Amino acid sequence: MENRFARFHPLVSFFFYAGSVSLLILMLHPIFLGLALVIILLLNFFHDRLSGLWRWKFFLITTFILMIILNPLFNERGRHLLFEVGTHRVTLEAVVFGGMNALSIIGVIALFVSYNVIMTPNKLLFLFAKILPQFAVLLMLTLRFIPLMRRRLEEISVVQRSKGISVSHGKWKRRVRTGMLYVQTLLTYSLEEAIQTADSMKARGYGMSTRSSYEYFKFRRADVLAIIYLVILLSLIIYCRAFGYGFLTVYPVMEAWQLTHLDIGALTSYLMFLSFPLFVEAGGLFRWRLSN
Amino acid sequence: MAFIELTNVTFTYPDCSAPAINNLSLKINKGEFVVLFGASGSGKSTLLKLLKKEIQPHGQLMGQIVIDGQPVQETEGLANEIGFVFQDPENQLVADDVLHEMVFGLENIGLPPTEMRSRVAEMVHFFGAESLLARKSHQLSGGKKQQINLASVLLMQPIILILDEPTAQLDPVSTREFLDMLKRLNDEFGMTIILAEHRLEEVFTLADQIIMMENGQVQIEGEPKAVIPKIWNSVNRDYVPSIPGLFLSMNGEGSVPLTVKEGRSWVQKALADVYDEEEQVSTPLLDDVRIRAKSISFRYEKKADFILKELDLSLKKGEFYALLGGNGSGKSTFLKLMAGLLKPDIGKVLYDKKPLNGYKHHELTKRIGYLPQNPKLFFLQDTVEKEIQETMAQWELADASEADSLLAQLGIAHVKTSHPYDLSGGELQKAALACLLLRKPEVLLLDEPTKGLDPISKRRLAEILLELHAAGMTIFMSTHDIEFAAQYATKCGMMFQGNITSEDIPKKFFKGNFFYTTMIQRIFRDFAEKAPMTLEEVKRQCASTKL
Repeated sequence: MENRFARFHPLVSFFFYAGSVSLLILMLHPIFLGLALVIILLLNFFHDRLSGLWRWKFFLITTFILMIILNPLFNERGRHLLFEVGTHRVTLEAVVFGGMNALSIIGVIALFVSYNVIMTPNKLLFLFAKILPQFAVLLMLTLRFIPLMRRRLEEISVVQRSKGISVSHGKWKRRVRTGMLYVQTLLTYSLEEAIQTADSMKARGYGMSTRSSYEYFKFRRADVLAIIYLVILLSLIIYCRAFGYGFLTVYPVMEAWQLTHLDIGALTSYLMFLSFPLFVEAGGLFRWRLSN
Repeated sequence: MAFIELTNVTFTYPDCSAPAINNLSLKINKGEFVVLFGASGSGKSTLLKLLKKEIQPHGQLMGQIVIDGQPVQETEGLANEIGFVFQDPENQLVADDVLHEMVFGLENIGLPPTEMRSRVAEMVHFFGAESLLARKSHQLSGGKKQQINLASVLLMQPIILILDEPTAQLDPVSTREFLDMLKRLNDEFGMTIILAEHRLEEVFTLADQIIMMENGQVQIEGEPKAVIPKIWNSVNRDYVPSIPGLFLSMNGEGSVPLTVKEGRSWVQKALADVYDEEEQVSTPLLDDVRIRAKSISFRYEKKADFILKELDLSLKKGEFYALLGGNGSGKSTFLKLMAGLLKPDIGKVLYDKKPLNGYKHHELTKRIGYLPQNPKLFFLQDTVEKEIQETMAQWELADASEADSLLAQLGIAHVKTSHPYDLSGGELQKAALACLLLRKPEVLLLDEPTKGLDPISKRRLAEILLELHAAGMTIFMSTHDIEFAAQYATKCGMMFQGNITSEDIPKKFFKGNFFYTTMIQRIFRDFAEKAPMTLEEVKRQCASTKL
């Protein structure tokens, strides 16, 4: 099923992801982070049934565990002593602080997985082409060249194996030397071939006048509404955050986790901001049901 | 005045003593279809690049190049008026998806988005490429890539289209399709087209004017029908395609036939009694199987589609097998599997009745010589000589004179100290072949060895291969060059959808095909049961009937 959210103008998607990442970093509060993570998981589920996230599972879990363990290991501050290992104090504050950072980081990673699904290189290129046309061409070439170089390196290794030269057999010293030769060949070859790419670019008038850019996306009414919705929510949250709401102070003295009225207001806006893609998908599904 | 006019043009590359273009004068009229041909290094590419200011090579240019009454050096806004398509489909691509690639030129000239839209819509429709727009460019076949390149250039609405061997890497069907496109552009839009090409069978029928270049000079020029007899009577007989070749070798009278249609009507009149020859006894093959593929299946990634599907093949000792098939049908992959470079997912490859994985790595490499499609990747050292020394050290060969005599035999002794990338396509291939032959393999696997070779280099390659074959070498090659396969191979196979769908001796193999068959066979196909396939066969048969 195609994503409805993916059909928005790239600016909307970009704004959503940029806003969400900042929120995950700014709003360090266990309740906020926990709920955010649930929403992001749901988001990923809607995109690709979590298959993208599944590939990152080891990285996510190890990061999470490491961060939770490392903070108490190096940080003894805090009043609420949980237990002592030898002379090392393990405090509740350290565990909570580590835990919040861990949640924030894996939240950001999970968000990036969803970002990869929605923000295709195409869209990114489109956004950049508006501001920095030359940079956009560079980005486009890079996007093509990285996989190209990888394919070429594979090809070199296959051809060399046919000659009986390989990096997986023989003495270490020799293998390293062969590896260097591979890279050298890859670079000379790629440079040689790039001359033709350059010619082809020049032949199509590259660098002759100011570039325009093909408009792949149109800014529609729905996009305007989405941007207004997101901007209002984000401003509200940041306003609250500026006055210290939606944030758990851990050091020097840990606050109570309890939420004040304004905290709840901030939380609501926060959840509404993050679940924007979910609303879009749900709305789409609903309308589809109705019409059928 | 002519549309494009070159007067006494001489061009010398920096650090070169001899000029690449030597006092060349040429006139091309508006709306003409011009075909440029000649040996590699005769200055075709240089000449083409000189016509377009943006990509003129560095060097010393003398003489006048005038396009539409304006000297090229002084033009400013000509960038979009001359379109240029290069040889390699892959290297011309800039973007990683098709739509970006198409609009690249338009963006460069700063066209407003609305106009871009309408031009793209029109062009995509003309090419029937709607379904390709969102694809990644590297996933397309070579033929499609080249069409996208052409589309991208055409979007800029050029009045002159220059193409430098655009079909060198394409299979026969894609080539046909691409040339048809050019023909349409020339016919329907009056576009002036200048095309450099090695494979002349088909392009001669399209051309208004053909120009043969040699050593930076125009050797012969004029209308194809008028000029072909001249080429036939010169030392460059190899360039004459087989249909006019047939006509000329029979001393035919009247106008020279170029197309299959013309060829047929001439044959009907003139050669009515030629082709009643008795079946030629095919040389009995040894029954010893050298390499055997037992229902192998292969795919590059776990969830991808199978590229090869339950493929069976026996390559017998002393065979010269030519594998034909479209771009992307899996020929290269199959060659790599046979060389043990890739492992089949299902099935087995046997070498002398023993599975490949039963051999140690170097045992296998010693027996099988593999020439990759792109011989540039073969060389790790920076001169040919060093590469040969490395090979000799690797295989513990001491006799340096053997290497020298091999190089001399292949005719590339003069390039010993050059960097591999400075060699021409043919030389590079022979240098790689020399490195292979040093270790005296029992089987040679060649991946499209005829690609991008001019007719003379091609004949030399054939001579080398035939010599090796006569000495007992088993040869397996993939190729797009049907004439080559028909003339030299002892067996041909067709790869389609990951399987070898038919195989036979060339004579029987080409009989039923429409596209994958030789020009001569197309002429004779309805006339006789045993239609001849190559010029040599017709000549032989004629000789026998006259006796």
